[in-house]
Amino acid sequence: MKQHAHTEKHDHSHDHPHEEISQTAKPSYYEIMETAVRELLCEKKIIHSSEIRRQIEVLDSRTPALGAKVVAHAWVDPGFKARLLEDGRKGCEELGISFYDDTELIVLENTKKVHNLIVCTLCSCYPRPVLGLPPDWYKLKPYRARAIHEPRAVLAEFGTIIPDDVEIRVSDSTAIVRFLVLPMRPDGTDNFTEEQLATLVTRDAMIGVVPALNPPEEQKK
Amino acid sequence: MAIIPKTHPTYLLDVTSALNERPAFGVGDRVRVLVRFPVGHYRVPIYLRGKKGIVESIIASPYVDNETEGFGHNAGSRLHYYRIAFPMTEIWSDYVGTQTDSVRIEVYETWLEEDAK
Amino acid sequence: MSTEELIKRLPNDIGGMPADPIVQVEHALEPWEKRCHALADVIDFHKILSTEEKRRGVEALGSEVIGKLSYYERWIVAFANIFFQKGILTPTELAQKMAEVEAREIG
Repeated sequence: MKQHAHTEKHDHSHDHPHEEISQTAKPSYYEIMETAVRELLCEKKIIHSSEIRRQIEVLDSRTPALGAKVVAHAWVDPGFKARLLEDGRKGCEELGISFYDDTELIVLENTKKVHNLIVCTLCSCYPRPVLGLPPDWYKLKPYRARAIHEPRAVLAEFGTIIPDDVEIRVSDSTAIVRFLVLPMRPDGTDNFTEEQLATLVTRDAMIGVVPALNPPEEQKK
Repeated sequence: MAIIPKTHPTYLLDVTSALNERPAFGVGDRVRVLVRFPVGHYRVPIYLRGKKGIVESIIASPYVDNETEGFGHNAGSRLHYYRIAFPMTEIWSDYVGTQTDSVRIEVYETWLEEDAK
Repeated sequence: MSTEELIKRLPNDIGGMPADPIVQVEHALEPWEKRCHALADVIDFHKILSTEEKRRGVEALGSEVIGKLSYYERWIVAFANIFFQKGILTPTELAQKMAEVEAREIG
């Protein structure tokens, strides 16, 4: 059986992504295990291979652009914003974004008084239906261990300085609820269309580690 | 062992009553997270044990306890999750930040008691 | 150190523990990782193996394995263990299938 190369290179035991892709086309031990488990389940007719293909298409269709659309719409439509804050899942579904799992969604509004940040200290819960899959840093120990304990230091590492008179609220996902941060609308965007606004909303702004982008100077008004 | 007659209310103690699906705590209630150490699986991080907070909201649908769901039991009595606000300074004695900074987290009903103070 | 800590604190319960500065790493999922994620979703939809069971299964791998395996490597090993427990797969069956896949893909 092929040895997993990483276990020999890293004898320290911290959590880290394995970014190196095998130089050969040979599948790894774990990749072979995944193929074998999946094929056995299909042979036993417990699942069907078409379900896996369909779910891969669903996963590929989920990107932060969906969340950005939700945020931009909330910025221009106060009625929608109120409904979104009342029930995040229903608000997203109103815009045609389906939830493929049984999670709930709470949308957390940033204001001049409150800055929200999301984390999952126990694993990697994340609003996948609206943002896609989380970045590696969100799943790794430094962010999970520290965001809940020293959020201001963590934000500073992302270049975000929150004034002392602003309350930081860190939401830790443990159960069926996922969170999405509704960042503040940047100044100078009064004449922006919803589509232009959406381009200012990044994934990291919806996690709460940075604010929404400022508009390019020439577009400000 | 005493035989409990079927008409006796305690006979129903381990039967799920629809009444149990009514939330035990309300928004604004002061609560405390119980201190206990289940092994195998839990979803209440250690940093919360024994900490006092305030119920911010009640998650509308009741759910099966994830401590049993983790072992494959997807049915049974359903209770509520509560979104609780805890001051950072309540959780971390060495907290560096503003006094109003807080943690918001969902805690299952069986982990909460009234903070009678 | 008392051994109780090893049992009382799950390996994934790391909120508040000392940790390094954040390095903003990310990578595009490898095809097998995406298949593994899709598999997790499909078996959760049918409650053949739920998200909660997956979390428990990963914790049960222990801190050394959790620390050394990558994210989806942990998932697939946890899935295999849980399928054995449920009687859906047997260890021998999986070993034979893995040998078959390896022969087919690597030759």
